[in-house]
Amino acid sequence: MISSRLSRRGFLGATAAGALALTGCGTGFALQSGDGTGSTEGRLSFTLWAGEAELAAFRTVAERWTASSGVPVVFNVVPFSEALTGVDANLASNRGPDLFRVTYQDIGIYAAGGALLDLTDLLPGGFLQGFGDAFVSAVQSEGRVYGVPHHTDTSLVLYDTEALAGARIPTGLDDAWTWEEFRSIAAGLPTGDAQFAFGVNWQLAGAYRWLNWVDQRGGRLLTDNLTGPAIDSTAGRDALAFTQAFFTDGLVPPTTSTKGSYVDELFTTGTIAMVFAGDFLLPTIDPAFVSAGREYGATFLPADERASADLGGNAVVATAQSVNPEAAADFLAFLSDDEQQALFCEQATVLPTRTALLGQQLDYAVRPDLMELFVEQATTITPELSAQVTVPQFNAVNASIVDRLEQAFLAGDDPGRVLADLAEDITGRLA
Amino acid sequence: MTTAAPAAVTAPVPGEEPPRRRRVSRDSVAAWGLLSPNLVVFGVFLFIPLLATVWLSFYSSSGFGPREFVGVDNYAELFGDSTFWRATANTFLYALLTVPVSLVIGLGIALAMNKPLRGRGVLRAIYYVPYVISGVVIAVAGRWIFNENVGVINRLLRSAGLDGVPWQSDAVGAMGSLVLISIWTKIGFVMVVYLAGLQSIPKEYLEAAQTDGAGRWQRLRYVVVPLLKPTTIFLVVLGVIESFQVFDIVYVLTGGGPGNATEMLVTYAYAEGFDARRQGYAATIGVVTYLFIAVLTALWYRRQRAQEADL
Repeated sequence: MISSRLSRRGFLGATAAGALALTGCGTGFALQSGDGTGSTEGRLSFTLWAGEAELAAFRTVAERWTASSGVPVVFNVVPFSEALTGVDANLASNRGPDLFRVTYQDIGIYAAGGALLDLTDLLPGGFLQGFGDAFVSAVQSEGRVYGVPHHTDTSLVLYDTEALAGARIPTGLDDAWTWEEFRSIAAGLPTGDAQFAFGVNWQLAGAYRWLNWVDQRGGRLLTDNLTGPAIDSTAGRDALAFTQAFFTDGLVPPTTSTKGSYVDELFTTGTIAMVFAGDFLLPTIDPAFVSAGREYGATFLPADERASADLGGNAVVATAQSVNPEAAADFLAFLSDDEQQALFCEQATVLPTRTALLGQQLDYAVRPDLMELFVEQATTITPELSAQVTVPQFNAVNASIVDRLEQAFLAGDDPGRVLADLAEDITGRLA
Repeated sequence: MTTAAPAAVTAPVPGEEPPRRRRVSRDSVAAWGLLSPNLVVFGVFLFIPLLATVWLSFYSSSGFGPREFVGVDNYAELFGDSTFWRATANTFLYALLTVPVSLVIGLGIALAMNKPLRGRGVLRAIYYVPYVISGVVIAVAGRWIFNENVGVINRLLRSAGLDGVPWQSDAVGAMGSLVLISIWTKIGFVMVVYLAGLQSIPKEYLEAAQTDGAGRWQRLRYVVVPLLKPTTIFLVVLGVIESFQVFDIVYVLTGGGPGNATEMLVTYAYAEGFDARRQGYAATIGVVTYLFIAVLTALWYRRQRAQEADL
């Protein structure tokens, strides 16, 4: 009995001693605030996703800025799919970074939630006048500036040269394919069990790219004051009926609906002869074609009443939690001045947002001949469409677009009914 | 002497606690001391997040910035949300298709592996490996296998002159691909647990049944399966809980599509919480999913207890 009691005491004592020892060890391993993600005085933390070429360009620009400012920039590189989830978690736990990269469609919700640093009075006077109107609109919320338009992307139609031999290939925006001409060319391409005419890049977060068709037809997603849906319109129904026929007529793989597979891979494997693709995909697509001994070209997006293109690309923003607001604003201004933006665009094969660079011949690393077409197509991104896809609730609206388009594309639901449902969803999302 | 002795032991001495109470008190301290590390872990990683989720379900929140108290609005919206009910039906269907089939196949393999067999250890490992591989890795492999355009299965079918299966663009095909991949990952674990159960069955029972003239099937049906009942209950409960928590395979393999054909409760909660950034609503889906699991588990245990009482 006594020995048992002593044993238990001994055990408890040893446990307590062990716990104390572990506590002692623990202090040595405690997470430090600002360990690569949080804002800390004397340096800038920058959370971003980036490919190799993009990261190298970011580093070059950061080193230049550090050389003059004396403030180091610490990069926290994360996969695209986790980037904003991680930023959200850090913001919620008051460990937000100084800076993060963000799509134009996401800025609104961060600005509305008070998560972003208001740069209006911190950026140099007249700084935003150097950018295209659509991009200025994308980084503003209620008249205040919350980021810098770092670069843009937009889509073109890439085509397999051999497959499109004999077809008229437009060489300027003015003679872009009409919808009917595009459809006629696509219908003339060979299709089969595992062979389709083309694929469109409207999967998941890219579902908003379907709005190009609506805009080309003269329609809108939201009302002029951005407070209600305007999609259930003749233009909207025409656009949906036209794009729905891609699936019902077997022109696109059924797997490439809004919840389906990304389309660029199907282009490189030869499953589709044409693909709607962003400029940022050229570094992936080009080597695949070169190694297979195949050739590809690019032409403008089809146009209807007008030409239109999607607002792709990213801004860089500073957080309201930054303890270095002046340094953060200074870095953002430096990052997106003419010289640094030109360097970034050339190395990363993306498009500039600064008007001074739009007319310049940049030395792109991949297919500079095609990048000229992308730059030209980007001039059709309108401030009106840009404003619609950057409202604070756009993430939720885009999720509804994904669901409803899938309903039309795969279930074959009537376009009028689908758009009525989408309009109802949007009303709820904006409420 | 004999009457006085017990009195001397049990009579309380003024100013001194009874030994029994003191022992109970010491035992309690020891018990709490031993329990406390687990309680802290459960509290921090389970109970507090659970309560926080319930609390968040009464708010409208994007995850940062100001929250707005909305009372039971999220619950009211949820019950009128057709996607939520579709996700609920899909989750039940997924559980219904994967749990019984993986149990039957797992038991069959366990019975085979329970016999002297050359290379038995290697075979067991082969069956178990999919269970320990990350769900994301399994799903990425699944994408290559079930890709409708360039996947292994459809290529083989086409090379044999047959039509490919619409694994991604058809609701039945997509759910089928999920179920097949899930069963493949589950059977290894089921096999190992059933093997442990089989090895705990006394050989005498089987020998007695054989002596009484029971054949192989009768021994399985009337001796082995009833004796494995606790193991089966454990596997069913665990399988149902796992089915209600399925995320990685669905997220990577089908993304919930086509349409909402493979949307599950957890993938829908993720989509609402992180894509649409409606974290209050996502928390509501989480709370209701938790209640589904709790009720199903309780009903299953209750049914089993009632059956055991009848026996």
